[in-house]
Amino acid sequence: MKNEFVIGKVKFSSYLALIFLILFFSGLLSKHDILKAFDFATLSGTFGQIKLNEFSFSFLGKGGDGARAGFLFAFSLIPAIMLALGVIELMQHYGAIKAAQKLLSPILRPILGVAGLCGIILITDLQSTDAGAIMSKQAYEDELIDEKSLIIIAAWQYSGAGLINNFFAIGAAIISHLSILPIIIIMLMIIMKFIGAIFVRIMLNTIYKKDFA
Amino acid sequence: MNKNPLDVFIEGAKKGFNIAVFSLLPNVLMAYVIAKMLTILGIMQLLAKIFSPIMSLFSLPGESIAVLLSAWLSVSAGVGMLISLISDNLLNDVQISIITPAIFLMGAQLQYMGRLLGVAGVRKKYWPLLMLTSILNAFIAMGFLAFYFKIS
Repeated sequence: MKNEFVIGKVKFSSYLALIFLILFFSGLLSKHDILKAFDFATLSGTFGQIKLNEFSFSFLGKGGDGARAGFLFAFSLIPAIMLALGVIELMQHYGAIKAAQKLLSPILRPILGVAGLCGIILITDLQSTDAGAIMSKQAYEDELIDEKSLIIIAAWQYSGAGLINNFFAIGAAIISHLSILPIIIIMLMIIMKFIGAIFVRIMLNTIYKKDFA
Repeated sequence: MNKNPLDVFIEGAKKGFNIAVFSLLPNVLMAYVIAKMLTILGIMQLLAKIFSPIMSLFSLPGESIAVLLSAWLSVSAGVGMLISLISDNLLNDVQISIITPAIFLMGAQLQYMGRLLGVAGVRKKYWPLLMLTSILNAFIAMGFLAFYFKIS
């Protein structure tokens, strides 16, 4: 098997990195006096208020619209996005992704009917749509997975592609508005990926059955 | 192999800067401009009227269909549209939470047809099935959260 599809030994520190990564973005630490030093929203901080007459307005001002408001708003997102991707990169460096792959692999056969090595592809997809797509193609061409598996893992990837990176890069704008912990939203989206892929698996085994006879 | 952790962080932060400046910023700017055009032309109000029966099933205002439609083209545009609706006070925090997973679950399908399904080599025959699945995922997630907030 090609090297990229072998997880190999996962160090204990890699699991710690994964746990840290999850806690960092979960929002669970935000209420604690000291542990909030490791909370994404807390560290993202706030812009200072700009005082205008008697009223203080936010950095963005009040009542803007159109291209100018859109630009200024997007501009205000840059720091949180830089922080998010910086921390993701750092925990990846310490093996968090490998640990996640290791944990996911054993449950794939029973749930999706695909080989454990697909776990590497799926976790990769959470970070990068393009990398996940290329790895899927490679696994299929190397005959490590059959066409049915390819379609099932493509369904998993297609709905919410690049989820983690997209959520913390593009979605950074929304996180402060959520009325529930971001981790609940992320968990729900990942569960929906599995439900969608299970639905596709059922469809392939019924309506499209003769394609795979 | 033994990189300095500070350098690793900086590398990630640079990636974040690039995504923010070259992907998010132009998309959000576009979404704001489109939202303004649609509002001036009265199309936003029309969409809101047509889709309010469906969207109200998910405790959302009719205008929020604009978020889903633009998310289908691009996740960044969907988020931009959402933010633009938030700044018009059309959605509260509960409604934002309900629609957020849908933006990502059905997001950027048009883009990812090529970038994901095409590159991975999934035969075109199965593309409609996968698109339908993503949209179902999005609506189930919204339904679940709407239900969750209703009972809690």
